[in-house]
Amino acid sequence: MSDKEIPVKITPPRKSRTTGMLLLLLLLLVAFGPLLASEVPLVARVDGQLCMPAVQELFGSAPPGPGDLDWQSWAKSLPISSHDFAWSTPWPHGPFATDPKRLRAGPSLLYPLGQDDTGRDVLARILRGARPSLLLCAVGVLLAAVLGVVLGGFAGLRRGLADLLVMRLLELFLCFPMVLVLMALAALFGNSSIGVVVVFGLSMWPSFARIVRGELLTLRERDFVHAARGLGLSETRILLAHLLPQLRGPISTTAAFCMAQAVVAESTLSFLGLGPGAQSGSWGSILMQGKQSAHLGVWHLWLFPALAILSSVMLCHALAERHRTR
Amino acid sequence: MLRWFLVRCALMVPAIVGITFLTFLLLDLAPVDRARLEMLQARENGAPFQEHERAVALLRLQVRYGLVDAQTLQPLPVWTRYERWASNALLLRLAGPDEDEAQFWRRLFDAVPVTLLLGLISLLAAFVIGIPLGVWLGLHAGERSERAVSRLLFVLAGFPEVLIATLLLIGFGGVWLRWFPASGLHSDGIDEASPVSQALDLGWHLALPVTAMALPILLMIVRFLRESVSRAAVAPFADNLRAWGLEDRLLRARLLRAGLVPLATMCGSLLPLVVAGSVVVETVFSIEGIGRLAWRAVTSEDQAMVMTLVLLTSVATLCSLVLSDFLQRLIDPRVRLTR
Repeated sequence: MSDKEIPVKITPPRKSRTTGMLLLLLLLLVAFGPLLASEVPLVARVDGQLCMPAVQELFGSAPPGPGDLDWQSWAKSLPISSHDFAWSTPWPHGPFATDPKRLRAGPSLLYPLGQDDTGRDVLARILRGARPSLLLCAVGVLLAAVLGVVLGGFAGLRRGLADLLVMRLLELFLCFPMVLVLMALAALFGNSSIGVVVVFGLSMWPSFARIVRGELLTLRERDFVHAARGLGLSETRILLAHLLPQLRGPISTTAAFCMAQAVVAESTLSFLGLGPGAQSGSWGSILMQGKQSAHLGVWHLWLFPALAILSSVMLCHALAERHRTR
Repeated sequence: MLRWFLVRCALMVPAIVGITFLTFLLLDLAPVDRARLEMLQARENGAPFQEHERAVALLRLQVRYGLVDAQTLQPLPVWTRYERWASNALLLRLAGPDEDEAQFWRRLFDAVPVTLLLGLISLLAAFVIGIPLGVWLGLHAGERSERAVSRLLFVLAGFPEVLIATLLLIGFGGVWLRWFPASGLHSDGIDEASPVSQALDLGWHLALPVTAMALPILLMIVRFLRESVSRAAVAPFADNLRAWGLEDRLLRARLLRAGLVPLATMCGSLLPLVVAGSVVVETVFSIEGIGRLAWRAVTSEDQAMVMTLVLLTSVATLCSLVLSDFLQRLIDPRVRLTR
């Protein structure tokens, strides 16, 4: 070892297409989950009137179906000559409909991911589970980023007393027992997601604040900042227009890492049966179900949610890596 | 050095007050307080309350949980309640109104040793495996074998603790291979066996939980050490030592010492990781430790226990931070203990 140099290789950042595709897929799932997997049709004409039940489901709950029938039996009962029609979503099963004849049925060609122990379709549950698993985390990370950038920016630009106060606060939060408080708030707030989002925000802002402050302390002495100050621009404008764009890389790296942490925390919470995700069927809650029925030889119920959680966490790590090398 | 130590310990007090007050404040944010919750449950159980009786019962509960002042019947502000909790906590009166102190402490002392055992063995295992692995990776940075191992570690780092524990349980705890027991820490009827076989039984039961808990810590140690050792290996002082013709073995010891500095800083942040891990691992493997206790406290709205656990973990975290600073000063001659 002693006689040879460690080769320092500079590899250009690899542009991986899979991360981009996966990111797009997850974003689509979070934003438009009900349009992709739902038992209600995407577009339907009932008695000559067009309606879009799946779109209504996107913003709330879908209408139960025309007349006394549900949508699927209505679509089947339509005569061939009828002008009414129903276009189903790409995956025509929802996460809630149970099929008592197919309890714990394994994957097959018709149902590629099988059914869970109450006969719900696993593929539909995974697709629709993206929103409860990821949306909350994204909002929490956003809150943390805003808090962190504001406080870190304040500390980095003003220095002096403000810096001291923010740094003390930051040290306090680093010792904050996030797991316990997260569990307690998730249990107390039950179905409402405010508690979880607040704890995510509170526990992750220090990472943003530290990065922003550290970078600002060096950036503020650079020539272009002095020039901007000489032009008489206000501090706020210098921060927003001249300094923050420079910090895009570090901030997005931190955001990606925090997002990975948040996804792990959320799936852990739902695995423990706490928080809003446990009720709305996030991936962690499906994993818990899979663990409970694993001794029956059911493998598809833990494997697929595990893959979903893993791929989103890895995606966040890959994104962080990409921003770091850029 | 004694002065440094005392100053650090004195600085812990405002930190503990801050953390517990913040927790108190956050728990107060909840839309439903305990008294109301109990009333809701009473209504579900079909208690035939009149409107007036219900209000009186609610008030009585609120007084009991210290939400409302007993004399004036006015709701107490959160800081007054915090002050009461803190003054009780100073006298180690931590139990809530529903149970006596002895029972509360017994619950705590049943759980703490279990998690302590689990956590210490996991930390030990992580350090014993992690330090040589991290140093090896750091010394061979850029080589093909290092890149392969690092890529594997990168993939493993993406595994959440829940997933590791579940996969270990499914893989080795009874579904696929029946190598290890799936739950608990003792076999039935082991109490009559000899101490040696009791210890062996405990080790057999601990294998899976310890693996699940040690893996994230191990990965963190390896990542830190690889970075710092590979940076130290190309630092000017290493070149200098090589130019002197220092033996490989001695050089490696120097590099390890230089590389350990960031690791010492990191040690302080390991404890929250252990607590987080204990919640998950103890749930998956049905072990009655602190994590399980926390879960029970949280689901049964046992605020006294939640606050106690927050206090306990934050004190432990702060102590470990002081310890890690101390270690850093011990290892790194550039940082002096006098300040």
